[in-house]
Amino acid sequence: MNFPLSFWDISLWLAVTAIILLITSELTSPYYGKTNLLINKKRLKNVALTIGVLFLITVVIRIYEITTSP
Amino acid sequence: MRESSKVIGYTLLAFGMLSLILSIFYEHVIMAFIGLGLTFWGALLLFIRSEEYVKEKLLNSTMLPTLTDINQVFAELGYQGKGIYLPPKYFKNTGTSKVYITQNKNTDLLTPEEIQQHENKLFIKNPEAALITPPGYSLSKLFEKTLGKSFAKTDLEYLQQKLPKIFIEDLEIAENLEIQIGPSKAAEKVADSVSLIHLKYDIVHVKITGSIYKDLCKEARKLSHVCGTIGCPICSAIACAIAEASGNPVTIEKTECTEDGKVMEAHYRILED
Repeated sequence: MNFPLSFWDISLWLAVTAIILLITSELTSPYYGKTNLLINKKRLKNVALTIGVLFLITVVIRIYEITTSP
Repeated sequence: MRESSKVIGYTLLAFGMLSLILSIFYEHVIMAFIGLGLTFWGALLLFIRSEEYVKEKLLNSTMLPTLTDINQVFAELGYQGKGIYLPPKYFKNTGTSKVYITQNKNTDLLTPEEIQQHENKLFIKNPEAALITPPGYSLSKLFEKTLGKSFAKTDLEYLQQKLPKIFIEDLEIAENLEIQIGPSKAAEKVADSVSLIHLKYDIVHVKITGSIYKDLCKEARKLSHVCGTIGCPICSAIACAIAEASGNPVTIEKTECTEDGKVMEAHYRILED
């Protein structure tokens, strides 16, 4: 009984989710005049940025692994 | 709407958790991805649920009778002076913001000490004037709360930078807001002949596009003692902010509005003490 996803699977999932959320967050931004969507856009933006940063952290870990491996 | 999104959020979360548990049990990759996705979107739906929104129509219906009353009171009392937004130094309680309206057009503004003596009164005698809480007072306090900083501790440049963000992104009051600060034409002429160093910025031009108050502003324009004196709630809120940030009294010189109400322009003058 193990969790079937590896670290890189999670990284891929984070990348896809971050792209979807960042695009959605940009398209619903009040700066484009789309103010009729009744969701908390600030929270959506924060979630999108957090997921994006998490993905970047996985990338940094990957780069560190590549550079330090013999 | 809010209830249905809550139900959908919890359902997605429950299915996601179930799928994750099953994926661990059967060590199934696709089921794990599905579980991860459903759990995340369920949690996201619950997290980004809509705030309390009200329809624009309600906003107008609630505000208009109060403005009509103010207009009628000043019309019946024969007040002709322009509303002067007073900065905090005119009051003992520095959180206060009031508009000073004189009965006669050419009456001078009282000194801060004289105003402080009548701070809690609505009407002042010698000269005949009124000291009322502006219609945009609460809105300007909301701006300060959103900013996390009192306008009294800022300046006009700060206002020029931060107010558009509050209007567009934070409170979603308007689609766009532009603030231009400049010297009046008279000050420019004096500065040309004397020195540019002493050029005083005393005119603030604000252009609001796609405001949620557009219908209210259009209706308020019919009320001459409101629109021409103290302004509609949004113009009034900006006047309060300018008075606090500049530390000087402010008047609303002119307000303009396109026929569809989409673009509103207001010109403010910062007065010398």
